[in-house]
Amino acid sequence: MPMTSEHHTETRAQRIAMVALFAALLAAFGMIPKIDLPLGVPITAQTTGVMLAGCMLGARMGFQAMVLFLAAVALGLPLLSGGRGGMGVFFLPSAGYLIAYPMAAAVAGMVMRALAGKHSSPARLAACAFAASVAGGIVVVHAFGVLGLMLLAKLSFVQAAVGTLVFVPGDLVKCALVALIVHTVARGLPDWRFGGRRL
Amino acid sequence: MGTLYSEIPSWMHRLPAGLKLFLLALSSVLLLALSDLRIQALAFAAIALLYASLGAASRPTRRLVVVAVIASALVGGLHAATGQPWLGLASGLRLVSTTMLGAMLTATTRFGDLLGVAEWLLSPLARLGLPVERLALQLGLMLRFAEQFFVQWQRLADAYRVRTGRSGGWRLLAPLTIHMLITARKVADALAIRLKL
Repeated sequence: MPMTSEHHTETRAQRIAMVALFAALLAAFGMIPKIDLPLGVPITAQTTGVMLAGCMLGARMGFQAMVLFLAAVALGLPLLSGGRGGMGVFFLPSAGYLIAYPMAAAVAGMVMRALAGKHSSPARLAACAFAASVAGGIVVVHAFGVLGLMLLAKLSFVQAAVGTLVFVPGDLVKCALVALIVHTVARGLPDWRFGGRRL
Repeated sequence: MGTLYSEIPSWMHRLPAGLKLFLLALSSVLLLALSDLRIQALAFAAIALLYASLGAASRPTRRLVVVAVIASALVGGLHAATGQPWLGLASGLRLVSTTMLGAMLTATTRFGDLLGVAEWLLSPLARLGLPVERLALQLGLMLRFAEQFFVQWQRLADAYRVRTGRSGGWRLLAPLTIHMLITARKVADALAIRLKL
């Protein structure tokens, strides 16, 4: 039994390190200056980190990394773009986008795992990452964002949906960036289990 | 990395973290449930007075409150433009009130005290596989990795500039990710040995 036990312990340690790493990646993206748009919703680089966490780690660990990041923000660390943090950020009109992070990473991870085959080429993995990022980083994030605008800012569905559309072109650029990163990582680390896929 | 906690003492610093968190949750739920403008205005006045009573202790969170005021003005303006000015005013007041409540908690409660409450609150999630008992370790690792991102980025940027004479910009993102993934694997090995995980 020692082999099984050793394998199990190594996986747990790797999980802890990877979850912390991708939460840190989000914090690092938060240092990139944000662009404020009407309705108090900023364009930030942080959703790139959400997409990347899902594509690289898979649904479960991607979800955990985002929960860890949001816990750090809630506990008062100024990790969001513009040095924001603390409980107050969860009451801003943009709170829906923030709360979406764990679910968005999980959906991106699920799509990545479903699309990426055992022996996919880097180009195919990049295409899968683009699709996964669109599903998690655009569809899920904006669905939660619209809900947040409706609940917290009491906007109508149409008002909130029109407000959120402004972000979509920028988000598509982020999806392409994630695809590019996945392509490079697939060439540099061929044993990486994108989206938690089996090798 | 600093927190938004204020070392300048105030009356709110003396309240237990759990009680403050409970009061924040209760009052924000009430504010979200009630849409009457008079109630929102009264609540806003009371919360603004409480926030002001913190004095200099509120300083680290003032920028966040300013952001909330600007966002609320925009949301209110949008409502007014669609013929619902009173709804806009009530929504704007609610946004600023709840943000101030959150800011008060953050400015007057130590990171460690909030962490203790969070670990207790999240403990049921351990059954879903979330490593709640390792929250403190994970937070520490996260902050260390965030620092490492900047160190590695600087090294890659310097190397790129020496080779090409130009700034690397976004081209450095992919190599940076690979560097950090390899670092995380090494950290995982160290964790597995030292903590017998």
